[in-house]
Amino acid sequence: MVESKDLKGLAKVERYYNDYGVRTKELKANGKKIIGYVSALGPVEVLTAAGVVPFRLKGNVDEAITKGDAYMETIVCPFVRNVFDAAIKGRFDFMDGMVLPHLCDSLDRTSDVWRDYLNLPYFHFFNVPHVTDEPSIEFMKEILKLLISTLEDYTGNKITIDSLRQAILLHNENRRLMRSLYDLRKNNPPLISGTEMMKVLVAIMGIPVEESNELIKEIIEEVRSRKPSLDRQKKRIMLIGDQIDSVAITEAIEGSGAYLVMDDISIGSKMYYQDVDEEKEPILALAERYLRKLKIPTTFVDTGGTYQENLNARFGHMRKYIEEFDVDGVILLVYKYCDPYGFEVPAIKSYIEEIGVPVLYLEDEYSTSSLARMKTRIEAFLEMIA
Amino acid sequence: MAEEKKGRALATKAAANIPKFVRGNLAATIKAKQEGKKVAYAYIADGQDEIMRAMDIVPAWGESFAGVCAAKRDAEKYLQKAESDNFSRSLCTYATCTIGFDMIREEMGVDVVPDAPWGGMARPDMILGSAQLLCDPRFKWPQATQHYLRDVPVFVGAMYYPPFDPKLNHHDQEKFYVKYCTEELRECVRFCEKHTGKKMDWDRLAEIVELSDKTWDIFIDAYELRKAIPTPMDTGDAMNTMVPLTFNLGTQEAYDFYKELYDELKEKIKKGEGVASPEKYRLIWAGGLPSWFALGDFQYFNSKGATFPVEVTYRGCEKIERLELPKTNDPLEHIAWRWVRYWTHWYDKARKRPGSLPKVERIIEYIEDYKCDGVVFHSAFSCRSWHAGIIHQAETLKKVYREIPILILEGDIVDISSYNEADTHNRIDAFIEAVDAYKQRMRR
Ligand code: SF4
Ligand code: SF4
Repeated sequence: MVESKDLKGLAKVERYYNDYGVRTKELKANGKKIIGYVSALGPVEVLTAAGVVPFRLKGNVDEAITKGDAYMETIVCPFVRNVFDAAIKGRFDFMDGMVLPHLCDSLDRTSDVWRDYLNLPYFHFFNVPHVTDEPSIEFMKEILKLLISTLEDYTGNKITIDSLRQAILLHNENRRLMRSLYDLRKNNPPLISGTEMMKVLVAIMGIPVEESNELIKEIIEEVRSRKPSLDRQKKRIMLIGDQIDSVAITEAIEGSGAYLVMDDISIGSKMYYQDVDEEKEPILALAERYLRKLKIPTTFVDTGGTYQENLNARFGHMRKYIEEFDVDGVILLVYKYCDPYGFEVPAIKSYIEEIGVPVLYLEDEYSTSSLARMKTRIEAFLEMIA
Repeated sequence: MAEEKKGRALATKAAANIPKFVRGNLAATIKAKQEGKKVAYAYIADGQDEIMRAMDIVPAWGESFAGVCAAKRDAEKYLQKAESDNFSRSLCTYATCTIGFDMIREEMGVDVVPDAPWGGMARPDMILGSAQLLCDPRFKWPQATQHYLRDVPVFVGAMYYPPFDPKLNHHDQEKFYVKYCTEELRECVRFCEKHTGKKMDWDRLAEIVELSDKTWDIFIDAYELRKAIPTPMDTGDAMNTMVPLTFNLGTQEAYDFYKELYDELKEKIKKGEGVASPEKYRLIWAGGLPSWFALGDFQYFNSKGATFPVEVTYRGCEKIERLELPKTNDPLEHIAWRWVRYWTHWYDKARKRPGSLPKVERIIEYIEDYKCDGVVFHSAFSCRSWHAGIIHQAETLKKVYREIPILILEGDIVDISSYNEADTHNRIDAFIEAVDAYKQRMRR
């Protein structure tokens, strides 16, 4: 069998995507500690500084939940259920621990379930607040310090200001590289397809940041050297949602005759479009990035100004992406039982439609079982905007 | 909580008074508009009640109004209205019910919606939400509401408590949590000052906070009388009698209500009056919000000789001395300590029993104190907050305590389409048989 190290660029991505966790297992065999995380709240910098490998968990949209329902109610978001099902079936046996963030009720209210049934040597519920005012920043610093101390206790390694700075530089570099790769989608037609991009996003979320940086450089080089095709007629689509981590949906979009050119999803641009301030004290800089810069529906944003100003603060980045990536239509995919996204559907939809860009809102499960129905809706949408 | 379509016999006079309370709270919002007082949309267990009372802001409780709509089986029009603007049916139905109502009011361009159940809620002047461990809708609901009430300012504060972790000592964290909660309450005061144009009267707030402490105490004193056999009041009533604590905290009426309830229960005990005669089985309502449209099910339990002398749901307080609150002259800090300790005061016990959880310790404590023979949960599909994690609590209870019979009912708080009476009654019948067998086993 070909070793991961013998592959390069997109070939390596293919390998990492198809056998998710393959590289993590190799690292584990070499004595590395693997700590799982599940959302854009990471926080990857702290894990990197702790000397562990941050490994983002994903489920499998092709697989039915067979064991998880015995532990977790079906009113929990389908992504969380699917990932938990995979975990309880032993899919992530190589994992030494987990940081579960306070993202939403589906995670918060099941944190005991994750902790008690996976029984990992390390587990921490990272209680990120939903508010962003000054007291919240102070509080966020405290809970970052608490996370750091639990990781130190577990690994026996001190996390120093220097190691945090180092990790921040590496992850900022990672984000800068990813944004360069995203830039290659601005071409018409884009130089990298939405499906390829999805595979990249997944592949790099399971490997150490240094390896990720090398891999992205290879991909950029490979993609840049491509000759663009001449088909400029297809509509350019942006995908918005939370935990979308499979090519099933990108293939459904691109298979219906569109280009998927941008995303605002949790494993995608949400991870890569906001840097940590390198000039500031690292814990404060991390608190500010995760609380104020990151654009996720679980942080409450209110400018104190008009409603329109609030909308700009919450969703302005979406309009910016639409403009920069020349987007013709938006697909907003929200999972059933997701309160954070569910409650903002009307606001997002009207905010985008106001600038003349149509939005297709789809409510779905984290599963390919409903893919045919979705595909029909996507096709109808594309026909409508053609 | 309200006069539900299907009549349910109320065992206490106090509970029979509740519809008046609920109606009064709704009417107060409408009256406030006429009197030029400010109305705030508010959400329960956010810790902001006393601030509102001290500043003469009239709270309009969405959860209460949605509960009334549900009890009157008149929520569907609002749920559908919200759905028409792409709010999923899987979201919290308290929220979608009131958002639907708001949408209709805005379309009509009125302050008061005609033919709304019990007059509905008045258009608010502000919205006070709170982010916390309790639920996402507590901050998403205000934000989603503002989409339709664009000129209405929104405040979302925070009221977190340290999450339980058997390996961490929460006492180390309490201080910075309380500091954070206190400062967020201060932000709330600032927001209210700005939007009422009035300054907070701190002495008045201190008095109100003291009154709330007394209300927490008398509430528990009254509820603990339910330990009597037969129990003089059960959960069917408690789903009503929770109203003053939940929606009127910080008012003299709330205190007086529980004083009267206390006296009434004393009297019943003296006369030996119970909810069911004979009382054959004592159950605990261990978690979950009820189906407001099917409160008659409690009566169905009663008809089988089963009563609920205790419940976790809406027992949103504790005897103050048991919380061992640090002394402070700052009423906001006192509120913060009260709430943080309310949630954490079962932690030490849970840490002592390996594999246990604070929520489970609370259930065990009640089972023992109230001599219960069975455990009932309700899983409402549209609220993850109280209902995700019930399976785990039930399993943990069996593991760390004993093989007590457990029933998990399924339905919703507002959405009646999830409910099937015949199925529910069949499940209750089977459960009662299991409880009976358990009692016999325990006797042997
Ligand atoms: S999709 Fe929604 S409910 Fe699920 S993890 Fe994300 S924010 Fe939470
Ligand atoms: S606790 Fe449940 S029912 Fe209450 S507002 Fe939150 S989600 Fe809705």
